[in-house]
Amino acid sequence: MGKALETKELVKWYGKEVLALNKVTFDIDAGDFFVIVGPSGCGKSTLLKVIAGILDYDSGKLYINGVDMKGVPPYKRDVSMMLENYALFPHMNVFDNVAFGLRMLGKDKSEIEREVKEALKLVGLAGLEKRMPLELSGGQRQRVALARALVINPSILLLDEPLSHVDYRLQRKLMEDLKEIHRKVGNTFILTTHVQEHALSLADTVMVMNTGVIEQIGKPEEVYNNPATVFAARFVGEINLFSAQIKSWDGGLCYLNTDIGELKANPKNKSALSSGDKVAYAVRPERVKIGEEAKLCDNKVDAKLVSYYYFGHYMEYVFQAGNSTKIKVSVPTEKVGNLTLGSIYLLGWDAKDALLIEKPCMIEGLDIEEVIYGK
Amino acid sequence: MCGLSTPQLKLGLIDKVAKYSRYLLLLPGFVLILLFLLIPLSMIIGISFFERFTVAGPENFTLKNYITFFTSPQTPVILWNTFGMSLLACLITFLLGYPMAYFLVFRVKSARTRFFVVSLLLVPFLIDWSVRVVAWLPILGESGIVNYTLMYLGVIKEPLELLFGRSALLIIWPQTYLLWMIFPSYLALTRIDPDIINAAKVLKAPPHRVFFDITFRLSLPGVVMGFIFVFVSALGDYITPALWAGGIQTLGLSVANYAANFVWPYAAALSTILVAIALLILYLLLKVVDIKKLVY
Repeated sequence: MGKALETKELVKWYGKEVLALNKVTFDIDAGDFFVIVGPSGCGKSTLLKVIAGILDYDSGKLYINGVDMKGVPPYKRDVSMMLENYALFPHMNVFDNVAFGLRMLGKDKSEIEREVKEALKLVGLAGLEKRMPLELSGGQRQRVALARALVINPSILLLDEPLSHVDYRLQRKLMEDLKEIHRKVGNTFILTTHVQEHALSLADTVMVMNTGVIEQIGKPEEVYNNPATVFAARFVGEINLFSAQIKSWDGGLCYLNTDIGELKANPKNKSALSSGDKVAYAVRPERVKIGEEAKLCDNKVDAKLVSYYYFGHYMEYVFQAGNSTKIKVSVPTEKVGNLTLGSIYLLGWDAKDALLIEKPCMIEGLDIEEVIYGK
Repeated sequence: MCGLSTPQLKLGLIDKVAKYSRYLLLLPGFVLILLFLLIPLSMIIGISFFERFTVAGPENFTLKNYITFFTSPQTPVILWNTFGMSLLACLITFLLGYPMAYFLVFRVKSARTRFFVVSLLLVPFLIDWSVRVVAWLPILGESGIVNYTLMYLGVIKEPLELLFGRSALLIIWPQTYLLWMIFPSYLALTRIDPDIINAAKVLKAPPHRVFFDITFRLSLPGVVMGFIFVFVSALGDYITPALWAGGIQTLGLSVANYAANFVWPYAAALSTILVAIALLILYLLLKVVDIKKLVY
């Protein structure tokens, strides 16, 4: 499979102060659904605009389908983009908005009519051709923007935060639609989001970004189960993080000192770590057991139940161990027992379920403890 | 509660004033327009239908004033001098001013530089109008700066007759009214969401299509406003044609002449024709470019 996109040490400055892209190097397979996730200001929008050619980059290389993009104007790139806030042309109706790109490509009238109709049907807006953007709801505008970007059938479709600014139900619907459309058209999709669930559920490949640098690239389950940095761990799914220092190794088993006592971990590929190293000890909330079940676990901690959140299909409990360490535990709703706030319970998890992360993030010079407890 | 009426909050004077305050806001402007525009204008239109207007009042209803104007062989020239030159001046002002507004909005990145340039544009307006009108002589006159420079550089042998002809209006009016074109265009251009322009770019529009289909189209309300400002200003200016246009006749100039000689009814008829044609042109302009559709 060929590469739809390759970048080498891409650098983009805003003025002299803000480094939006800091030597970004990655590539994307043709036909991939590639999701870039990160907090606002991490550079994901900038990256899309650089790929689209709206913004120029300062140094590095950018190839689309193997062609160097330096100095290539947006309209000559085999890319189209759905911008955040949709940016529909306010003086054109839905049909003309969607037809715009096709007209620019010089297609003939009957072809345009047919393709616009098809695109509007695909996004579920058939029959609204004559409406002006102002007469549409937020969700409808989003669909017009999607149809408009899709209809010119680019080899790469860039989607900048397509799921923000709409309500939850619509998000779900759009996610299903996006996945289905991607399956149907088979083009490369690059989507940005600041919501981790979107990243995990939509992506073939996830890239976690943090202030201009790449934290991790991988399949969603790789990033979830084996986060490369504390930042990535925290940005993809819920996680409990404890600052820890390695005490000793016993076979494959690692003993660590933490604020809540001695903990055990059974890490893979972490044999390079030695006694005295500071790491983050992490365990996902769904791996932690409560009460009777906890008794059989490798790690056991007494903790007080301080609050809980009901999410429908699961319950999240927040416990406090030691002085201030919070431990989140998620339990499927049908397994929820009768717990009382303020009572002490035994929590436990197995060594194999614990993760050791030695890097706080890909930005140099940050202290791991600060990153764990900083936010 | 039985038998008692529901308690009601009492409205004080302030609440009542507040309720009608929007009408109060309109009042001063309305009075001004009524006293100094609507009443005088109706009087002018009224007077134009009489033979004479003396201290005693109008005498003898007639359509003669209008018939005289429209049958005079001079009329087409006067109409061209008035409306043709104003519209041409608008066009030239647009061609000079719009690129400048575009440059300010899309090419000048720093807000401070932008402010500085706009302030520079305002400098000529700090100089008294009469001074500015007279100052054209040392600039465009036979031995003025422009002719001197061109002759010195060997571009021309004889001085150009820049003043004292129609062409003078096409230099002086655009210079005088440039700002009226730049400002509304500038404001309209700043209102365009940059991402709409970006969207056009990523949707395969080459630069000229981005400009004509999106940027220019979305700034049209401002351009139309600028056109109206310049057109109306040039139309109302009869001093510049009188001083620098070499004695050409315009409607405004004729009105001034007849009024100066106390031929009120004919001056009134000319004024009415001026206003009527101006309104007609504005109407047509707004019909071609539907301003309601422009402001979505």
